[in-house]
Amino acid sequence: MLTAEDYRLHEAISGEEGIAQASSRNPDLILLDLGLPDRDGIDVIREIRQWSHIPILVISARGQEQDKIKALDAGADDYVSKPFAPGEVSARIRASLRRAAVLDKNEAGETVEFGNTSVNLAARRVLVGGSEVHLTPNEYKLLQVLLRHAGRVVTQRQLLKQVWGPEHVNEPQYLRVFMGQLRRKLEADPAHPTHLITEPGIGYRLLLETEHN
Amino acid sequence: MKPFGRFSQSRAVAALWQYGAALVVVGVCTLIAIPLRPHLAAANLVMLYLIGVVGVAAKFQRQVALFTSIVSIAAFDFFYVPHYFSFAVADSEYLITLAAMLAVALLISGMTSRIRVQEAAAAEREARVEAESMRTSLLSAVSHDLRTPLSSITGAAGTLRSHWEKLDVTMRNELLGSITDESDRLNRLLSNLLEVTRLESGVQLRKDWFPLEEIVGAALYHMKRHIAGRKIIARIPSDLPMVAIDDVLMEQVFVNLIENAVKYTPETSQVEIFARRNTGAIEVEVLDRGPGFAAGHEHRVFDKFFRGRSNEVRGAGLGLAICRAIIDAHGGSIYAENRKDGGAIIRFQIPFDDSVSKHNGGIGGNGE
Repeated sequence: MLTAEDYRLHEAISGEEGIAQASSRNPDLILLDLGLPDRDGIDVIREIRQWSHIPILVISARGQEQDKIKALDAGADDYVSKPFAPGEVSARIRASLRRAAVLDKNEAGETVEFGNTSVNLAARRVLVGGSEVHLTPNEYKLLQVLLRHAGRVVTQRQLLKQVWGPEHVNEPQYLRVFMGQLRRKLEADPAHPTHLITEPGIGYRLLLETEHN
Repeated sequence: MKPFGRFSQSRAVAALWQYGAALVVVGVCTLIAIPLRPHLAAANLVMLYLIGVVGVAAKFQRQVALFTSIVSIAAFDFFYVPHYFSFAVADSEYLITLAAMLAVALLISGMTSRIRVQEAAAAEREARVEAESMRTSLLSAVSHDLRTPLSSITGAAGTLRSHWEKLDVTMRNELLGSITDESDRLNRLLSNLLEVTRLESGVQLRKDWFPLEEIVGAALYHMKRHIAGRKIIARIPSDLPMVAIDDVLMEQVFVNLIENAVKYTPETSQVEIFARRNTGAIEVEVLDRGPGFAAGHEHRVFDKFFRGRSNEVRGAGLGLAICRAIIDAHGGSIYAENRKDGGAIIRFQIPFDDSVSKHNGGIGGNGE
């Protein structure tokens, strides 16, 4: 399936072999099934993350939210739930590969746009439909963290830590309240969001473009 | 009263009660017989007791019937056989009367107990047949749903393989498309089956406080391909308090309900989602403008493998069963009904404790 989409594919049948190939072949992206025969998939992510920023896309069963959170916290970029619909994996791969470009833009302090919203990170200015919207400092920080990881799922823990500080990681209600406020300010219909997306059980994702897959 | 009941203490109590009742029957017979003694021959008075014995034999166990006939005989002997008020039997012809009474008691109780055995066997057989037919219908539903996509896949793959050269590109694509669609269907069916089994075997909820708006939003986002072009209106009051729910499972409820609403209604029909706060509960409604539920189906739609309009729409009939399992696990309730002016409503309630107000400022609050 992936070969047909012009990806070159190298398979590894164990965690050890995967790590070995990740370093020897230096791939553009790693697809990692958390159910490994020889070791914990989370450890594999940690190990690879010690020396590489290669995007890691985790494959895990539906309902295994805790595993996904651990994988994301360990440095995975994204996940796909098994069973997945045809096309879902390649859509996620495309999205992961696309992110590099966005990251560069962010670093440069340019304007990032999604939907009707444009955010100028250098000037800390947010416009919706051309008119300026006031965000509270925490709302802005939240948006900033999400933008820095645009397209990727950021776990609740990561968001709480980066916006409110490590002492608040166990108070996800804050996060939900502020996400709600941010949606009210930036989304056309907060109950039907197209950019500030909740991944239940895991975290949040900011989508810059509405994906068509 | 229940001769085939399970062995237990209540059975001993029931037996005692039966013997008591038998004594009462004999007593009543005796009381009726006393004023009649001057007017009736002893042989006819026996008939009174016989009626009592037959009655007891028909209702109670054999031992009780035998007990009744012996007591009846004793009472008859005591009161009506000369010498009166003694058990001495003067005339040997009364012995025949006594023997006949005993025989009738045995016969009747034997017959009724046989009838009872047969009745119980018939009931058991019926229950077994019912359970069996339930199992078969579940099995046939599952195997039909598994087989239909499988045979389409095999058919399409086989055709592609043997007629590859003859088929033009459009045909090939069509067949390949049907292979992917059907595999997708199989995939969904299997994961739903696993899901409903997991939920019904008791699931550990990971509850936390969530704004419903967020859960609905996540469901709508994840279904975006399903609902493309549909008008879906979600009205969730901004001051609705957060609810203690398992967000992953509750998202599944919304996904299934919206999916159903979209599946069973024409493309132009709009779907609405409402939430409101009731006393002690948060109530959610998903409404559509489709054909609604057929009369009498309102309760059955939540049964596993039950499919309302099976001829019009494909599916395994698991979506609503999953919803009910999840709502049940939350201690809530879910109902289906028809709208007065056309369309279907699925309404569910999740218990909401007003006194737990810590996180319930509503997400419209501005606390910083």
